[in-house]
Amino acid sequence: MDRIPTWREGMRDAAPILLGVAPFGLIFGVTAAASGLDQFPLWASSLIVFAGASQLAIVDVLGNGGAAITALLTAIVINSRHLMYSADMGRYTSGLPIGLRARMAYVLTDQAYLVTATRFADPTKTEGLAGYYFGAAMSLWTTWQITTTTGFLLGNFIPEEWRLEFAIPMVFLALLVFSVKSKPGLVAAIVGGTVAVVAVNLDYQLGLMVGAAAGILSGLVSERWFA
Amino acid sequence: MTLWIVIVLAGIATFSMRFVFIALFGVVAVPPLLERALRYVAPAVLAALSIPAVVAPDKALDLINPFVPAAIIGGLAAWYTKSIGAAIVVGLPVLWIVLWLT
Repeated sequence: MDRIPTWREGMRDAAPILLGVAPFGLIFGVTAAASGLDQFPLWASSLIVFAGASQLAIVDVLGNGGAAITALLTAIVINSRHLMYSADMGRYTSGLPIGLRARMAYVLTDQAYLVTATRFADPTKTEGLAGYYFGAAMSLWTTWQITTTTGFLLGNFIPEEWRLEFAIPMVFLALLVFSVKSKPGLVAAIVGGTVAVVAVNLDYQLGLMVGAAAGILSGLVSERWFA
Repeated sequence: MTLWIVIVLAGIATFSMRFVFIALFGVVAVPPLLERALRYVAPAVLAALSIPAVVAPDKALDLINPFVPAAIIGGLAAWYTKSIGAAIVVGLPVLWIVLWLT
């Protein structure tokens, strides 16, 4: 562990994760292309937003006739988890130039954060961190750009009978399965899902926001039951 | 045009959330309540996004429809393999089979 980590090592540690990111990128591209929404901005969202679940949520909400504000709020709420990664990464990056930190923030993802936090368990020993981080983060970024673009190209050739629109909730369901890691987390999911079903007829797809808020709140409240 | 605005604003907001504590480390700490609440964002939002699409596809509760078995089996595949791709590769064919049978 005394060797200074390099970008090459970051790339190597991120490599197995790319196998999970690639199909997600393809699915996003394919479903976005098949959504009937304007394709160019959706394609550009991989560069502008660079956060898969939120990009897919924008397609989902607007594709189902939701309001622009609902799509935007959903994307922001989904991505709010990056505040956690940002706070933790801050411990490692405080000595780095601000411009470099801004570039690190642009490519911050769940996976880049997790790989880096695992490799640098001690925040006081950060030599080689930026190189390692960019090795991991940029291989994820590149994979995302290539696979979403490929998905867009393929999506225009996939017949409607394949019912590809179902891939959208299926992806969210898979991410949901991965995200439940505690009992309060399970409560948050059950309440969030149930309230969203009850509120499914609210205008502008607002049931989504109501369900999310109820889920987060019930997760917080239920912490004391399981303490 | 609306779509561009949504995506650009989502991009600005997302970058800001990624950057804020990296930029302000030592100046501003994450409020403890926010830190706790953030743990429940992913399960709550993902359930709110996925569950209605499965059990209320036509905007009314309908527990017996082709999406339900597809979601259950696809969800189990995701859980078992820890892979999004598996959820699609298993879930979609289940949907096709159920649609074809019914």
